[in-house]
Amino acid sequence: MSPNLLQKYSIGNFHFSVKSGVDNILVKKEAILEVVQKVKEDEELLYEQLVDITATDNLMSKSGYTEERFTLIYSFLSLKFNKRLFIFTNLAEGDLDIDTITPIFESADWYERECYDLFGINFKNHPNLQRLMNDYNFQGHPLRKDFPLTGYEEVRYDENLKKVVYEPVTLKQEFRDFDNESPWEGMKETIQEELKK
Amino acid sequence: MGRDERNNPRGIKKIMAENFKPVTLNFGPQHPAAHGVLRLLVQLEGEVVNKAEPHIGLLHRGTEKLIEQKTYTQAIPYFDRLDYVSPMCQEHAFAIAVEDLLGIEAPLRAQYIRVMFAEVTRILNHLLNIPAFAMDIGAATPMLWAFEEREKMLEFHEAVSGARFHAAYFRPGGVHQDLPDNLLEKMKTYFTNFPKFIDTIEELLTENRIFKQRSVDIGILSKDDAIKLSCSGPVLRASGVAWDLRKSQPYDVYGDLDFSIPVGKTGDTYDRYLVRMEEMRESVKIILQCIDKIPEGPVMIENNKITPPKRSEMKHSMEAIIHHFKLFTEGYRVPEGITYRAVEAPKGEFGVVLVSDGSSKPYRCKLRAPGFAHLQALHFLSYGHQLADVPSILGSLDIVFGEVDR
Repeated sequence: MSPNLLQKYSIGNFHFSVKSGVDNILVKKEAILEVVQKVKEDEELLYEQLVDITATDNLMSKSGYTEERFTLIYSFLSLKFNKRLFIFTNLAEGDLDIDTITPIFESADWYERECYDLFGINFKNHPNLQRLMNDYNFQGHPLRKDFPLTGYEEVRYDENLKKVVYEPVTLKQEFRDFDNESPWEGMKETIQEELKK
Repeated sequence: MGRDERNNPRGIKKIMAENFKPVTLNFGPQHPAAHGVLRLLVQLEGEVVNKAEPHIGLLHRGTEKLIEQKTYTQAIPYFDRLDYVSPMCQEHAFAIAVEDLLGIEAPLRAQYIRVMFAEVTRILNHLLNIPAFAMDIGAATPMLWAFEEREKMLEFHEAVSGARFHAAYFRPGGVHQDLPDNLLEKMKTYFTNFPKFIDTIEELLTENRIFKQRSVDIGILSKDDAIKLSCSGPVLRASGVAWDLRKSQPYDVYGDLDFSIPVGKTGDTYDRYLVRMEEMRESVKIILQCIDKIPEGPVMIENNKITPPKRSEMKHSMEAIIHHFKLFTEGYRVPEGITYRAVEAPKGEFGVVLVSDGSSKPYRCKLRAPGFAHLQALHFLSYGHQLADVPSILGSLDIVFGEVDR
């Protein structure tokens, strides 16, 4: 592995727990295109396969990894060295533009479209940035933490109009979200101690 | 890569009459050869595919969003409903991801049971895919034969979990229940004879003239292209890449077992069929080894902060009742962290990116489905082929919409 190259771009690490064979770096979003190009071509890294692109919305997170709203997670695999690399990058609320990596990894196309659809992240210069998972005229980005689980619209077939109609969601029973969490702070430590036995 | 190059990935030259207008055809979402709810916009020049654009999401149920609202235990059944023909392999990915964050390891007996049933599931999956693929290109008999065998194997699923498909059997920390008495003997008898059944299917298909005419040299995927297009599993191996997570990044007891990885040569649809056939034979080997090697012992870690107490214990122990109540309301808390664990599911690399913020619900759970990447490659594979080859290519990719749309 060539740690120098990874170190050069890294502005920090993520608390990442995988047993072996995994590198992870946090990079600035402006550098993403350059980093991805480098890790693909560097002869000591050769991360030649893109496994996944995904994101998390940090709005409700209790763990203070980052202050920024979104974290993008790129996942790469080197078939030659049997290693995985995770590249993290943070995006602030109101500045959700990032360069697309489709010129380097062709298969990023749908992964980026999915991120756009579910999180509203805008991939600049993407060849076809349209919704992928949701309905053609869907509004909003469902995997954001401020999007309600029940959604806003529901669909049914109207027998009189002979077509599918969209209506605001009506719930027969109020949405219930029980907080069953034990208020005891000690729980976490107890588990860890038990496991050590 | 420019847009033109993307549209014509192989640089195929086509000779077309002047004033010839391409026709756009809507294939699906309700078409028997589309293997579910795929809407495929095919642009045709005569009978030749000019562009194949899949529109997915018709089965999108928001699984990832739903999992965020459930405890770790309640999230398990969602994994059965992703790729609904190979349920246990996906539970496996989730179980090892949660175990990774908790820093625990399942007991050895549980690991053997998991590996054994992951392989049963793999055979089940291939026994659906191969005859469905064969049916798409004109052979009806394998479907009927394979389904009879599938039913017999689903009885093993039912014996351990109580359900034929939606098992919810693999749990973080082990498996839900121990094997019933005599099951191992039954499985041993069945799987010793099973290769004979694979032979009969091979007799029907492998040298069948019609089958070969419809599949040889269709949808060729070279080694480099397969890697470039994020392919994994049998699709990647059929293109000649010897890559299998069970070998290269072994999880549970795969590292202790002896099996080989079949690899294809040309990467056409016929090779993908051959690789799957051979994989079933290897799976049988793994199952038989597991039956011989499986040790006695617990099947779930015995820590009642994470796994529920035994029923019998709950009859007389107050502490057990409290544990049971807390586990099924609050659930167990998982330490903060991010992890990615992948398993070799029958269709390819199925991975789970799990983010925990220290509460009893997953903060984010991204499901990396192999079919998603494979379907994306459909345009690449079908460009320049005839329309009748599209079902053949689609069948060989083994697409199930439960996992593609999530």
